[in-house]
Amino acid sequence: MNRRYIQLLAIAFIAVFTSTAVMAQNAVDPNREKAIDSLALEKVKDLGKYIKIIGNKSTPYNEATRVMDRAEELFAPGSEMGVSSLAKEEIEYYKVREYFRRLMALNYDKVTIEWYDVHYISDLERQPDGRYVGVVTIYQKFEGTNGDKLAYKDTTKKDITIYVEKKETQIAGRTIEFWDVILGDIRVSETSI
Amino acid sequence: MIKRFLLLSGLLVLVIQGNLQAQIVSEDDEIERQLLASTKQLNQFFSRFNGEEDTKGREFEPEDRQYRNSRLRKRFLSILFDEENAGFSESLFEEFVNKVTSDDQPIFLDLQAKEWFAVVNTTFRYKGRSMPLTLYMQIQEEGLGYEWVIADISFEPYKTLFDKQRGQTKEFLHPMSHELDFMNLRKAMVKDGSPESYTLADFEPDLLTVFLYDVKMGNLTFETVNRLNYHFFSVDGWYFSLNNFNRPGYNTGWLISDLVKINAQQKEDLLKLLYDKK
Repeated sequence: MNRRYIQLLAIAFIAVFTSTAVMAQNAVDPNREKAIDSLALEKVKDLGKYIKIIGNKSTPYNEATRVMDRAEELFAPGSEMGVSSLAKEEIEYYKVREYFRRLMALNYDKVTIEWYDVHYISDLERQPDGRYVGVVTIYQKFEGTNGDKLAYKDTTKKDITIYVEKKETQIAGRTIEFWDVILGDIRVSETSI
Repeated sequence: MIKRFLLLSGLLVLVIQGNLQAQIVSEDDEIERQLLASTKQLNQFFSRFNGEEDTKGREFEPEDRQYRNSRLRKRFLSILFDEENAGFSESLFEEFVNKVTSDDQPIFLDLQAKEWFAVVNTTFRYKGRSMPLTLYMQIQEEGLGYEWVIADISFEPYKTLFDKQRGQTKEFLHPMSHELDFMNLRKAMVKDGSPESYTLADFEPDLLTVFLYDVKMGNLTFETVNRLNYHFFSVDGWYFSLNNFNRPGYNTGWLISDLVKINAQQKEDLLKLLYDKK
């Protein structure tokens, strides 16, 4: 378990933990939902930071690989990126790792990735297995330059699946329940902006 | 005129609030205001339709006096319609808005609302070719929550697959076949034949089952989703569809692109049309 994960877990405890005796089994309390939203957004921001590092041409290969590992830990196994552009409406599908590798291999001298200060978090909906699912939407600005010349620029909308699951852990012999957030499939679509 | 006023006042609120609150890099101000105004998810369409969030997308508490407020809803509804290609009149728009925001019987939408579905245009590989296939998807309750399921499909090669001849020219098993222990089945059940000819007069093929069989057998392989839209019959006497408008400006995202007032017969006809039925 890495340090960052422990930090996130700590945030989750502070924000959303409660004793088993008072916890309703099947519902997400509205106040708790807000805390879960914050945790989800935190993970999405972490993903954003990792994407910036992976895409940065000055990041050494070893460091990029290490960051890819960390980024992959945010996701549920088998998560995919579904990518479409304005020129091509069909969605192309990549495993998360493959997407990161393609990002790292982009043929520009310099890559700049920024995030707009606009996001939207959906309600959490319960799925048949009892877990909750939601979608966080964010927008990313990408610029690839060769020399001083801007070679490519786009703004993409990223709709990120978040899975929310109630888990248990033992602390000092006491069972503590907490809500954990993990990322899932991401739909990446180019915007006309 | 009223519709335009509502739209402008709706946008103005968004822009003013955006100006006051957004903490953004200056050159991206305009883009961020547009992104803020965009109806980014279907979830946001529902929340705006219902008046359950503010212009920045923050949810109202149910006890907040703005929550589901009729005036707020009217303002939001004005920006939930496609302004560029809308083919419906302003009076129709006003009638619809007044119905869903009425004080005595307001209408709200959510994921579990009745009578709405998604039409998903996909591409599947079939007999060595990439071909369009339409999936009709619905939300249903299952286990501890909800799931999207395939309610029906439309696929060109299936449309004529079971076209059955009728009358004198059709193939048949003659009425004394039983005396021969139906030995003539050998000539009826052949590859590339017309086995559907030997079924009951009211035989209707279940094409969804054929689709599932072909997917299981590997005859149909999913390739991609091309586009999708949503169709709502949730408001009694009305039909509207939602499309995603990916374009610059303030009137973008998931917006109502068609609005029609319908009676029971028109509803039936429209459903047949949408489901690509004869």
